[in-house]
Amino acid sequence: MRQQEKQHRQEPETDLSDHHDHDAPANPYHTSDRSEDQDKALSERVARLEALLTQKGLVSRDALDKVVDLYEHDLGPMNGAKVVARAWVDPGFKERLLENATAAIAELGFGGLQGEHMVVVENTAQVHNVVVCTLCSCYPWPVLGLPPAWYKDAAYRSRIVIDPRSVLAEFGTEPGDDVEVRVWDSSAEVRYFVLPERPENTANLTESELAELVERDAMIGVARVAGP
Amino acid sequence: MNRQRTARTEVAEMEGGAALPRKSGEMVFHENWERQAFAIAVNLAERGVFAWSEFQQQLIESVAEAEREDALNPSRGYYESWLVALERLLEKKKLLSTAAVE
Repeated sequence: MRQQEKQHRQEPETDLSDHHDHDAPANPYHTSDRSEDQDKALSERVARLEALLTQKGLVSRDALDKVVDLYEHDLGPMNGAKVVARAWVDPGFKERLLENATAAIAELGFGGLQGEHMVVVENTAQVHNVVVCTLCSCYPWPVLGLPPAWYKDAAYRSRIVIDPRSVLAEFGTEPGDDVEVRVWDSSAEVRYFVLPERPENTANLTESELAELVERDAMIGVARVAGP
Repeated sequence: MNRQRTARTEVAEMEGGAALPRKSGEMVFHENWERQAFAIAVNLAERGVFAWSEFQQQLIESVAEAEREDALNPSRGYYESWLVALERLLEKKKLLSTAAVE
């Protein structure tokens, strides 16, 4: 695993466009430490490229904004969290979700895979589900965004199948001995994701408040949803 | 629409050196120009100016080139390699001369 600390430049507090810097992890793809001048030059280079392509009628500001919006805001674990919250408050939706996840998820306006189906598996007091892709890193990204690095690790991909309880314990999840652990292997055709158990003491929460409780790891099945 | 869907699947599922920088499923951009360069490439693929696979291949080469001397310390960041790949592909397609943007 390549790890390299990114040297963070001091940003002016008011520069909200750059707020990502503060929570972005050390990332092997961002190791080059650019000076402000270099960023300015790159920024101008992209602007010139955009202007040239706009002139040729190949891109437009509108279309570019839509792309950014889609990838940055609409394709993330928040979509999955909304699906889970809806299933918790609407039994009819939950039934449709478990029967045909792709169609039910499309009701909320999420989708984007081609022929691949999404399948939702429900955690209960008797069954704990967890998802993997043993061959590569198939992932229901329209609802969960881009997969975490560990999901692609050979270690996770093999160990979760051989010894799921130990791997779950490493994530702090320890289903009781009476709970059956099921491991679902995703493929190019079928993408699984987990409908976690609704935590206790959430009867008073609204659907959007519930959605905020649902983390990505709970939908992969390596974690539970913690109560408020 | 179909082409858009194809592009989306392909963009989201890039592997190895070409894989998108991300955190908890969200994309990570450090500067606005990175966001813009990302959007230009995706938009051009959605419009069929090039196939995503063509861009991906160029990106893989560009990232590998940056890591050739020292994989732990690439000579340029991910989105710089992205921009280089984009310029080269557009150059190949005779859609601009790199000289015009540099």
